[in-house]
Amino acid sequence: MKTSKGISLFGFAAVIMMMGIAAKCSTTTDNSSGAQWSVQVDKVDPGDVDLAASFQIAIYENLVDELGKTKRFKQVFRDGDRNASAVSDLLILKTAVQKYAPGSETRRAVTTFSGATKLTVRSQLVTRDGQVILERTVDGNVRFMGGNLRATHNLARNVAKGITQSSLQVPSQSVPAQSGQRSAASTKLVRSQSGAS
Amino acid sequence: MSHTDIPWYRTPKSSLLTRRLALAAAILLIWYAALAMAQNASQSTSSTTPSSIRATHLLGFEGAPSNASGTLSIQGDSLQFQKNGTPAVQVKIASVQDIFVGEQSRQVGGTAMTLGKAAAPFGGGRVVSLFAHKNYDTLSLEYVDANGALHGSIFELDKGQAEAFRNELAAKGAHVSNSDQQAKQSNAEVRNENK
Repeated sequence: MKTSKGISLFGFAAVIMMMGIAAKCSTTTDNSSGAQWSVQVDKVDPGDVDLAASFQIAIYENLVDELGKTKRFKQVFRDGDRNASAVSDLLILKTAVQKYAPGSETRRAVTTFSGATKLTVRSQLVTRDGQVILERTVDGNVRFMGGNLRATHNLARNVAKGITQSSLQVPSQSVPAQSGQRSAASTKLVRSQSGAS
Repeated sequence: MSHTDIPWYRTPKSSLLTRRLALAAAILLIWYAALAMAQNASQSTSSTTPSSIRATHLLGFEGAPSNASGTLSIQGDSLQFQKNGTPAVQVKIASVQDIFVGEQSRQVGGTAMTLGKAAAPFGGGRVVSLFAHKNYDTLSLEYVDANGALHGSIFELDKGQAEAFRNELAAKGAHVSNSDQQAKQSNAEVRNENK
């Protein structure tokens, strides 16, 4: 009796382990195409929006941080990094602010229904030659708890989440050879909208 | 018929006089306290020795933990941030590309206060929130590292200190631009907080 219990427990543990290994393998397969890219995060473009400098900086820094966490890219470069010029499979993340409502933490705490800080950006992943690989409109809001700058963290997390969930083209298909010729596959444009907040 | 002596200070006139004197003394005490507090406040806001100030690092300064309190100082040709009890991290002032000064408001008291406000009956927490906020300055820096990569960092300073610190950094060789624009931005933030 005891032996059969032990065998069944061992079998159960083995099944769990196999499921874990299988899940890990499938994750690795999913990310394998994206892992061949590196990404450079460009400085945030405020456009016509009157966005505080601290918000621009916070968005930029949070994007660098969150993209690094995704493990989707071989390397994450900052704007102006000279090391990025030597990388062949490089995507550039461009972020343009579309809407911004500054909000107020005090008003949120007092009323609980007003004073939300809202940010909407258009984020694009483009190749060196300007081809758009991925384009999304992403929100980052703070509605109840937290300071105004928390919106930038939420926004960056949503941008990273959107990139993780999307399928990127394989670099060899989309990046032209050094001669500068554009391949047929590189004309494919993935365009989607995200309302994540 | 028994006759008891009433001390002079128990007579109606003297009692009234004593009360008035106590009231006057209390008013004087409050006035002096208010005066002292005002002087302290003005000293803290107008102090012009910003080469070493208390600051909270919000994010971005390479090697420094986020939301860490410490000392922001100018050491020779470097800008240095040191969290209490940890090694200092620094960048060359010449590598600073731009400095922005802003103003923000935030609720004070942290998580404990938030929980307390949530637990207060009859919406008392909301009334507390109305007064439990503090204005502070933000000092935002853009600088480049040895590879030319752009970094941004944000510090939270006591109100009135960021401007002086920015001027000192500019005097030491930091690049500063868009001063009009940043003033407009900071005013916009304050206006919004005051609404």
